[in-house]
Amino acid sequence: MHNLTDNVLMIKVKEGDLDKLGLLYERHKRRLFGFFYHMGNNPSVSEDLVQNVFVRILKYRKSYTGEGSFTAWMFSMARNVNYDHHKKVAKDGISREISPEDAHAGSEDSLNEQMDHQGNKVLLNRALGLLADDKREVLLLSKYRELKFHEIAKILGCTEGAAKVRVHRALKDLKTIFLQLETT
Amino acid sequence: MKEDKFEIQAVDFISGSMTEDEARRFEKFLDENSQYREKFNDLQDVWGMMEEIDSPKPSEKMDEAFFEMLSSEMDKERSKRPKNGLPNWLSIVFKPQLAYGIFLLALGLGIGYVLAPTAETGPTEILVADNETEEVRQKLVLTLLEQPSANQRLQGVSEANKFENADEIVIKALLQTLNSDSNVNVRLAAIESLTNYVDNPMVRQGLVQSIPNQESPLLQITLANLMVALQEKASIEPFKQLLKEKQLDTTVKKRIEKSIQSII
Repeated sequence: MHNLTDNVLMIKVKEGDLDKLGLLYERHKRRLFGFFYHMGNNPSVSEDLVQNVFVRILKYRKSYTGEGSFTAWMFSMARNVNYDHHKKVAKDGISREISPEDAHAGSEDSLNEQMDHQGNKVLLNRALGLLADDKREVLLLSKYRELKFHEIAKILGCTEGAAKVRVHRALKDLKTIFLQLETT
Repeated sequence: MKEDKFEIQAVDFISGSMTEDEARRFEKFLDENSQYREKFNDLQDVWGMMEEIDSPKPSEKMDEAFFEMLSSEMDKERSKRPKNGLPNWLSIVFKPQLAYGIFLLALGLGIGYVLAPTAETGPTEILVADNETEEVRQKLVLTLLEQPSANQRLQGVSEANKFENADEIVIKALLQTLNSDSNVNVRLAAIESLTNYVDNPMVRQGLVQSIPNQESPLLQITLANLMVALQEKASIEPFKQLLKEKQLDTTVKKRIEKSIQSII
């Protein structure tokens, strides 16, 4: 199955072989879920947003050119989905999501009791939740080794150098927040 | 090194996007600048910690919802297709059967074209066949002219009319008939047949020579008319001889005299 690259699969989907989207979904669902989760959405909202990304991929499949990697294309959609969701929530004036810290704390409690013993991980997750949205985003994108910096830059709409600088500063901020949490 | 450049290079280094050379140079730079080394170590720590960030697993509901969405989308796609008449129409046009049909038609035309030149041998075959029928007809004419029945001899003369170009043998046979046939009608038919070949000097000569041999007034007048039409001067002498004969019919006599006048 792995002979079929993401690009080849997506081209097939574009040509009407919708079945192939299932494979792409299996390959990328965890990553997308993680992205939305760490972007401050609770697990159930994250699942919905993953779904939305694939709905969009289907809707806009004709615009896929096969230039650049599929992952980069997918993440630029994921970013828009996340942005639209937050805009909608803000407009409705109803906070259907839990604030990032609470979400993480809550989910850790309910989903994984073991996490309590691994203090560093919990702290890091909380620190990530406290990081500014744009910084958190660039860190999450750069965490996926598949994405090259020029692709991340394209997703974010900036130059490659600027993307690297953003990653650097986001890491610095994260460290600062982490140390603050550690001392309190 | 400027701060910006350091930030970029540090990220390149930890993310592994540097070439070996660049990495070596960067490490050397860090070794020489301890304050940057510290900054870099901090950065590498956080980057390493980032690896440990994990998220809960998505529930199975997400998979269910996705595949439900996908299959309904596929159904929609399928139901859309029949509405679209063009692809169906195209699929009929591009059916392999039709392609085979066109191929066979082209093949047939090709073979027909290649074989066509052999059809051109047709005219020569017809010529050969014509020659053969001419030969058969010649024999038929000669045989019929020798028959005792006047009727059959007439048939032979009319058969001789069918030649496009009668050869010497047939012409001689016709002249022979003209001079010696016992039946007037056969002789008249022979004259008629011979008028087809008046361009042939042998025919003209034969006709002229036969003038004194004719006893029937009908034939004498026919020949006189023919000689006038041909303006054959060689016929004057035989006609004059004919005039000397006592039994000559008076009407014929007048007619021949008139003819001689008009030929001169």
